[in-house]
Amino acid sequence: MNYKTILCDVLVVGAGGAGCRAAIEASRHNLDVIMLSKELLGKAHTAMAEGGYNVSLGNVDPDDNPETHFKDTITGGNFLNNQKLAEILVRDASERVFDLEEFGAVFDRTPEGKIAQRPFGKQSWRRTAYASDRTGSEIMVTLTEAIRKTSVRVFDEVFATKILLEGDRVAGVTAIDLKYGDYLVFRAKAVVMATGGAGRVYKVTSNAQLDVGDGYGMAFTAGCELVDMEMVQFHPTGMVKPESAKGRLVTEAVRGEGGILLNSEGERFMHRYYPEVMELAGRDQVSRSIMTEVLEGRGSPDDGVYLSISHLPRSIIEFRLESMIEQFEDAGVDIRDQPMQVSPTCHHFMGGIRINEESGTNIIGLYAAGECTGGVHGGNRLGGNALADTQVFGALAGENAAKFAKGHSHTGFDRDTVVREFEKLESMLERKEGISPADARAELTELMWEKVQIFRREEDIEYAVKELRRIEKEVVPNIKVDVQVKRFNPGWHQAIEFEHMVTTARMVAEAALMRKGSRGAHYRVDGDPNDKGYYNIVIRKGKDGEMELRKEDLVITSITPL
Amino acid sequence: MMTKTIKAKVFRYNPDLDNEPYFQDFDIEYESGMTVLDALLQIQDKYDSSLAFRWECRGGQCGSCAVKVNTIARIACRTKVDPNENLILEPLEKMPVIKDLVVDMAQTTFRLRRIRPYVARDKKPERPEIIYAEEIEKVREIRKCIECSACLSNCPIVHETWDYPGPMIIRQIARLELDPRDVEDRVALAMNESVYSCTTCKMCEDICPKKIKIPSLAVELLRAKAVEAGYPLAEGQQGFLDSINKTGRAVPEKDAPLLKDIETAEFLVDNPRGRVAFFTGCLIDYRMQNTGKALIEVLNRNGIDVIVPKEQWCCASPAFRTGDLHTAHAAAKRVTEIFEEAADKYNLDTVVVACAGCGKTLREDHRPFIEEGRGEPLKYEVYDLAEYMIQVIGKENIVPPKGEIKLKITYHEPCHLGRGQHVYDEPVELLKMIPGVKYIEDPYRNRCCGAGGGVRAGQRELSQKIANTKKEYIEATGAEMITTECPFCTIQITDILQETDIQTRYIPDLLAESYRKGDAK
Repeated sequence: MNYKTILCDVLVVGAGGAGCRAAIEASRHNLDVIMLSKELLGKAHTAMAEGGYNVSLGNVDPDDNPETHFKDTITGGNFLNNQKLAEILVRDASERVFDLEEFGAVFDRTPEGKIAQRPFGKQSWRRTAYASDRTGSEIMVTLTEAIRKTSVRVFDEVFATKILLEGDRVAGVTAIDLKYGDYLVFRAKAVVMATGGAGRVYKVTSNAQLDVGDGYGMAFTAGCELVDMEMVQFHPTGMVKPESAKGRLVTEAVRGEGGILLNSEGERFMHRYYPEVMELAGRDQVSRSIMTEVLEGRGSPDDGVYLSISHLPRSIIEFRLESMIEQFEDAGVDIRDQPMQVSPTCHHFMGGIRINEESGTNIIGLYAAGECTGGVHGGNRLGGNALADTQVFGALAGENAAKFAKGHSHTGFDRDTVVREFEKLESMLERKEGISPADARAELTELMWEKVQIFRREEDIEYAVKELRRIEKEVVPNIKVDVQVKRFNPGWHQAIEFEHMVTTARMVAEAALMRKGSRGAHYRVDGDPNDKGYYNIVIRKGKDGEMELRKEDLVITSITPL
Repeated sequence: MMTKTIKAKVFRYNPDLDNEPYFQDFDIEYESGMTVLDALLQIQDKYDSSLAFRWECRGGQCGSCAVKVNTIARIACRTKVDPNENLILEPLEKMPVIKDLVVDMAQTTFRLRRIRPYVARDKKPERPEIIYAEEIEKVREIRKCIECSACLSNCPIVHETWDYPGPMIIRQIARLELDPRDVEDRVALAMNESVYSCTTCKMCEDICPKKIKIPSLAVELLRAKAVEAGYPLAEGQQGFLDSINKTGRAVPEKDAPLLKDIETAEFLVDNPRGRVAFFTGCLIDYRMQNTGKALIEVLNRNGIDVIVPKEQWCCASPAFRTGDLHTAHAAAKRVTEIFEEAADKYNLDTVVVACAGCGKTLREDHRPFIEEGRGEPLKYEVYDLAEYMIQVIGKENIVPPKGEIKLKITYHEPCHLGRGQHVYDEPVELLKMIPGVKYIEDPYRNRCCGAGGGVRAGQRELSQKIANTKKEYIEATGAEMITTECPFCTIQITDILQETDIQTRYIPDLLAESYRKGDAK
């Protein structure tokens, strides 16, 4: 088995908001930094974030401060957040947004020339910094510009498949070059995981095609602890039509700017659910309200509800929601006059790799940042906190990985593991009989969408767990690629991703089964009223390789749940 | 409901295995609202999971999925499939193929890095940094770029040479020049990156998924800054401008100019159905007098009074294009004055132009400049001749030309007529009204001939290269005659077709010829 080995000091896996930020930070320490990007540089899912970046600058509402941001984040997260991490988020968000401006970001302004801020769900003040409704794109473009100034070596279209260990320390990763199919080993003194989320394990999602949970799968296999995996955010407003656009994000900024939700009877139904905050209730709350309307027969013809902004001034819509105009124009809807049809879409994984206050994991030398981590957002993430998360923890992970790399030399690595990994990838190409990745994926995403969605019940989750265990045993080892070509072969890429998807989905389902009561995004129709849910579920691989789940006490610094 | 099937011809190439690229046909089940990306995913799902193409967000936000769709590069996720047309899908141009529709972007990345594509600062900014909305208004406009690179693939200049980095990258230079925080000399950088090579053909703007006006907001802006900074224009370009300032005409007089040759300013008909003023432009006045007369004749024959103000002035398109805003703005004012006076005097509100460059300049450059300056709309609307005939007179009201012209004729769409004024099919409709004409559609009809943007005047060699590529497209149609609606294009195309048997004609001339032949019968 031939492979090429590439050495560096700090390896960053992933090139979205968190990965780029980590790489930039690490490169400031006179180190050789490599960033692996599964896509072309700049195309990561961060670019699809629309609404904004939460930071308590108080530019519009001067009474805002980090403490209030913290409170909102913890209440919004249903008290499940790791409060130490949330403290870091609210503490560093402002310096990191200024970093972005220093790199060249162009946020919209207040009349005084400061960063403008808009209201977002469940926040006490107008706190969300934005660049129209293309804030993620603005940040991604800025980071791309900044990366091009650094010495960071970007390997784009390189797909990391497995974390390599030497004893209890990280040694690097195995990867394939998507372009030419070469097998690569990256050896590093420290590694940062910044692999994003896994919306694609669900049939309907706002996520980019690459968000399949590679990081969760790799981390689990390597022995990382993962936390809150049952907490999956369904964004209340995804597109419904046309079929090919189903699930595409309709930014929360639409509601932030004053958009209202209507059912088929023209009723502004949110007043029946959350009259104080109406459309700006938590994402989990709005999603459940919409689904209730649909399930009770007051949905639109395509099983959604209506989101209307036709009462807003055109100038506001055109200046602050320009991407939405474009997005719905493609679907033949002029949102200035016509309502949008929306329904919930899988959007964000609150759970993920467990990190400490240094963005470190339980594996020595392995750091993680961004959506692939868990703990910051608890049971429900506030809109606008994800972009802030990428910058705050990206920088933190980059810095600490660099410090670690400074103090350590390269470890050795286990060639047998490497060869076995590449043989496994090769076998998908060589297999004569088996299951196609497209079929396997369709089965998985359908299962998750049907059984482990917004409203959850014991028998559904049990069924999903059983099925996922079966898929893991019977389908994963039998994935077969139709065309035996290694050069840019999407069929092969999907086949490799599938194992990561299954591991990720299983963690979601197993944790969901363990949590008997409703809390945050995890809503049990048959919820056990005695389970208040004030604990975190931690998952790791046991000695026998099986998934082990345990409940842990919440990490509390100042706010104790009621 | 019957499902409709369309054919997709897809470029396939695996350099590990294939000696050369080939096309593979697939049947696509068409669904309403289907995008090119949907079609590609259908092929991957149904027929061949190894078909290589890039995509990520499926919503026009990441810029991964640009491919050539029926000869023009666009992002696949926002390009609708036309159920009445088969699809031809190819990889982007100028970039080496890795496999199928996936190309190597290394050159683009290299060219980007070469321009130091980030905000350069000479000191740490204050925190918070105060930036006013007005300061970033223009940056905001051109910052929406998602680096899909489709514009590079379509750019006629990049097609000929990587000396020019292409629209996307010139745009990035302008983005930095406009950023109040950036301290580098981006104008010098733009000069070094051949900003004067752009013909302002607007192909980049037309296909841009974010509708960024690269020619005006980046290229012409950087040129204006260069002129302001004292960079001299090319000799040929400066010659035009000096001439405009001195005589009101971009070129020197040769034969008797049209405006001197005609005896009256008023060409009136009995029972007119309309009245227009004719803006001749420099070349029709000084070089193509017969075309001018033909235009008057054609309009008169269709019952339109034509007023030709005897004192006319150049629209100063060369000045707008090359960045001499002083000359440009002076001319805009003068032209407006002349034609508003004519509008008042003759009680008309329509100006007809037969030069694509002039028409574009009057509409896209003069109008906003004048209207913003005085806060009042212009007193007249500008129409291209063909547009006026089809849209205003109405196809059904046009007096049919009867003289037969038995030729296979194709059409070159001037950039500043199609993309510049959104006049696409009207000239072709006129052509098709002429008996005997066999119209041949050129799939590359809207590709630049290389004359515009000051490139023919400033960089003859580059202009020639672009023209030669155009020549290949024209020859491939098998037409005996190419028609167009712009004097500049006419001159350029006549030049390149010299050694061939293909004739070049101006549409008003051809129409007038058919009318006259019809009379003789």
